[in-house]
Amino acid sequence: MIKRINICFTSSGSTFNEASKVKDAVTAQESAIVRIEDVSTVYEGERRPAIRDVNLTIERNELVYVLGPNASGKTTLLETINGLLPAYRGRIFVFGLNVRNHGRRVRCEVGYVPQDFMVEPGEPYTAFDIVMMGRYGKIGVLQRPNEADHERAMEVMRLLEIEDLAPRPIGKLSGGQQQKVMIARALAKEPKLLLLDEPFSNLDPESREMVPRIINQLHEEKGMTTLIVTHDIHNMMKTCHRGVVFRDGRVVVDETPEKALHKLEVMR
Amino acid sequence: MIWLELDIMRRAVLGCVLTGILTGLMGVFVVRMRISAIGYSMSHGAFAGAALGVATSMNPLVTAMLFASITAFLIGPIADKARLHADTVTSIIFPLNMALAFVFLTLTPEIGLTSQVASVLWGSIISMTNNDVVYMVTLCAATLVIIHFVWKELFAIMFNRKLAEADGINTRAFVYLVIFLSGVVITFSIKLVGGLLIYALLFNPASSTLQFLEDMRKVIVVSPLLGVGTNLSGLLVSLFLDLPVGSCIVLVSTLVFAVSVLVSPKRRRKIENERR
Repeated sequence: MIKRINICFTSSGSTFNEASKVKDAVTAQESAIVRIEDVSTVYEGERRPAIRDVNLTIERNELVYVLGPNASGKTTLLETINGLLPAYRGRIFVFGLNVRNHGRRVRCEVGYVPQDFMVEPGEPYTAFDIVMMGRYGKIGVLQRPNEADHERAMEVMRLLEIEDLAPRPIGKLSGGQQQKVMIARALAKEPKLLLLDEPFSNLDPESREMVPRIINQLHEEKGMTTLIVTHDIHNMMKTCHRGVVFRDGRVVVDETPEKALHKLEVMR
Repeated sequence: MIWLELDIMRRAVLGCVLTGILTGLMGVFVVRMRISAIGYSMSHGAFAGAALGVATSMNPLVTAMLFASITAFLIGPIADKARLHADTVTSIIFPLNMALAFVFLTLTPEIGLTSQVASVLWGSIISMTNNDVVYMVTLCAATLVIIHFVWKELFAIMFNRKLAEADGINTRAFVYLVIFLSGVVITFSIKLVGGLLIYALLFNPASSTLQFLEDMRKVIVVSPLLGVGTNLSGLLVSLFLDLPVGSCIVLVSTLVFAVSVLVSPKRRRKIENERR
């Protein structure tokens, strides 16, 4: 238990150095950030797996997009990788750690943006509160966010040009603004792995240009690894390393972005 | 204010204040985490436990807490193991506790509807002792300290449990902590309004406050204050009209909630949005 808490401390925690050493030791063992071996995930109450016999490896600093028709298992894949869906068969390793045993530890280092996340108008939280929450897992239990955490959250909001929204109630923001807040939340964590589920769906055309640019920039500067589920890949095409196509819960294509898109269009 | 010169009344006022703070505070977590069903199951579990205590001449407080805790900790694991929704399990445990309470009370006909039994059923502020006040002050302090230390996690879980889990927070542990604390608060508050009405104290102040405020930090401060306000108002109404304290508190608290919903700016905005 103590180990689990320590690994989540940030620079604000005194045990950070020790924790990061453990992390680095773990991650240095292999270049694969995500390794999925024969994974099938079944939702509660369902018989048919949402994803079936999936094998996938994502190397460090790779930017991979996932395509496929609706209900083909794309979201399930992301939520299985970060351990939010525990009912799966097979093995998943993230940063070399088995997600089944170290899910929480893994999630402290994974930024996740869920699909179509909309907040009720009366929610008693500001946009800044939501962005700051992205850092909570890293800060660790019984620790309070410090000045550096606040600064990091504001820095990400500035990067996404939403710093003006910081004090405003999240429920009063437009769909696109809420979407940017959710992306900022994931980035505020300074994740080693970023899982994005349709992150551009509610954005205006200008932001559709800007957000992929920021993701690309962070890729280059921070060495992040990203798995992105999107129907809108044209802005990412140049910088993506691979395209994976899902159909009926299976990986049917794992190719270069252009080839993957082409094969998907042929399949349609 | 001649009443305040009486020890009984001083204890009653203190009981109202402390119960208002505790239930108003825990109510915010219970409402926001959507574990209300567990909340009222626990309150009836506490009622059944207190009835068992009265019937067996044990300390009703201890048996009430035992039953409330057992109820709280059975619902989750039973739902998990039996692959049932927690609501289904709650719907079964809720009448089960009520049935047990009445069985315990009728098993000992010599006790009948004595004041002790009545205090479990409807609450009895008069039966509040100095010890009860000390317990509640201790509980209040302990609850505030615990919440201060885990506020960050509770704050995130109240927004969205799945996202909090995705950020690496052990949400199950914190939800269980809230359930446990609510169970203890319910048990200690039973003397004020009784086992049948206690859950109104847990939900009404929090739900009323959430109709207005848009900052969770303000909600967590105002809800306990509203709890204290409605409790003291209910106590005054009961003194003036010579009616049971518990019932008056619940009536005032429900009235406040009804007015809050009627004038709620959030509700109005929601309706306007739906019309568009």
